[in-house]
Amino acid sequence: MTRRQKAIVFFVAFCILLVAAALSLNVGWIVINARRITPLIWGILTFALIITGIIVYTVFLVAEIKRNEEHDTFINAVTHELKTPIASIKLYLETLQSRDLSEEQRRHFYEVMLADADRLHRTVEQVLKAGVVREKPRTITAMRLPVDVGALARDCVAVVQRRHHLPADAIVVEAQTEQPLGVRGDPDDLRMMFSNLLDNAVKYSGNTVRITVSLAAPTPETIWVRVQDRGVGIARTQLKRIFNRFYRVQTHGLTHVKGSGLGLYVVRAIARAHGGRVFAHSEGEGRGATFTVELPRDPNPPVEEPAVAVGARTSAGA
Amino acid sequence: MSHVLIVEDEHHIAEGLRFNLEAEGHHAHIVTNGIRAVDLLLEERNRFDVVILDVMLPGRNGFEVASAVRAAGQFVPILMLTARGRPEDVLRGFEAGADDYLPKPFELSILIARLRGLLRRGRWSQQQQQAPTAPPPDVFTFAERTLDFSAMEVRAKGKSHPLTLMECELLRYLVKNAGKPVSRKAILEEVWNLHEETDTRAIDNFIVRLRRYLEDDPAKPKFLVTVRGVGYKFLPHQGNS
Repeated sequence: MTRRQKAIVFFVAFCILLVAAALSLNVGWIVINARRITPLIWGILTFALIITGIIVYTVFLVAEIKRNEEHDTFINAVTHELKTPIASIKLYLETLQSRDLSEEQRRHFYEVMLADADRLHRTVEQVLKAGVVREKPRTITAMRLPVDVGALARDCVAVVQRRHHLPADAIVVEAQTEQPLGVRGDPDDLRMMFSNLLDNAVKYSGNTVRITVSLAAPTPETIWVRVQDRGVGIARTQLKRIFNRFYRVQTHGLTHVKGSGLGLYVVRAIARAHGGRVFAHSEGEGRGATFTVELPRDPNPPVEEPAVAVGARTSAGA
Repeated sequence: MSHVLIVEDEHHIAEGLRFNLEAEGHHAHIVTNGIRAVDLLLEERNRFDVVILDVMLPGRNGFEVASAVRAAGQFVPILMLTARGRPEDVLRGFEAGADDYLPKPFELSILIARLRGLLRRGRWSQQQQQAPTAPPPDVFTFAERTLDFSAMEVRAKGKSHPLTLMECELLRYLVKNAGKPVSRKAILEEVWNLHEETDTRAIDNFIVRLRRYLEDDPAKPKFLVTVRGVGYKFLPHQGNS
């Protein structure tokens, strides 16, 4: 048992003790004042207030202890996520500096360092975005540009495929409608949202990655982007909590996955900021997971240059 | 030529380390999870001369790996490498049985120098083991207790306890300075070659373990006494009462 768990047990026990004491005093008061109505009512009300106070106080305390603990795990995870790529880049730079290398090795080392720089960048973006989301949940997306979700999702798939060195058929995109799927929003944020979902799908897939991305328009007003993996899956009890800030599914054994605990929190925040929502579905552990993002469709998509927003900002990168 | 086991699940760092170790003329073998690392170290006890151990690993973390390996009597030198650089983590690493510790990001040259140090110590103690005819037996005896540096064990109270490399080095240093108070900082510098501002409490865990081997009552030490505000003092001739 950790120090925090001990503290929680102690405070809960203390609360029960205090409530029990207050209750027995209350019973005593009722017995003594059984025939006098006014002090009886006053007494019962006061005791009720004290008991409520004790319970509220304890609940608050325990919640605070738990939040503190989550924050600690978060700091640990982010420390690791930030320091690992830095350590790697430094290691390769020192190697380049101190050893004679062939041109081929040199080029390979540059690629490794670029991948690490990308990873570092993504972690920083994630942390910054999560910070903004926390401050102003509704206003994170000031931009309202027309975006073609289909093209953007395909773009993200290509980036993620390259990032994880996946074969071309590891991620399949299925469009269930021929029409362009236009929404209004911030292309960078939407890109981050899809990348997070795809990254998660890859990370939790284990050794064989098989992911299906489906694009659909279930009603004329809504768009669905669905990311389905066949990986470790999610236990039913955890399905709701996975979108919480810092929450990380407890994995054990060799399926241990690293991350900051911010990815899905950011996904949900971005979906909400665009007037949409995201939900998770899983048949249980070991049976894969499906994440569906529902976004409101742009009522007046631009007739010309529909992909301008995507094209213009692609270089900003995921 | 030495055999180095790299236990690290970050492929980039593992490959970078392997490249450099091979450039230094060592053999490097990479394992990416804690369970495999323990298995390998216990199955092939003499294959590796030094281990580079990450902390955040799938399967079993680095602390668990180090304790498991030490509990099974495998005393190969371990260098811990981890992103967690807080004093508690350093302390936990030493407590688990690590011989040296480097926070990430690290300097390549320092890592290699530390590995050399560990390899050198490992070789020395091997030479001592292989050469029993060495003129002065590397043993220190006091108050019915024997510190056998060549066999790397302590014999006291009718029992013998195996020592890790660093426990051996620490005892040697204490014996050399018997009767004089030695500061934690001096111990870190002389025994561990650590010159940075590492948390000096890490030493305390070693002392606690040594007391368990040597003292009649580890809570009331007679031989390894604490000098308040300074460090420790080794008093081999105090137990004659």
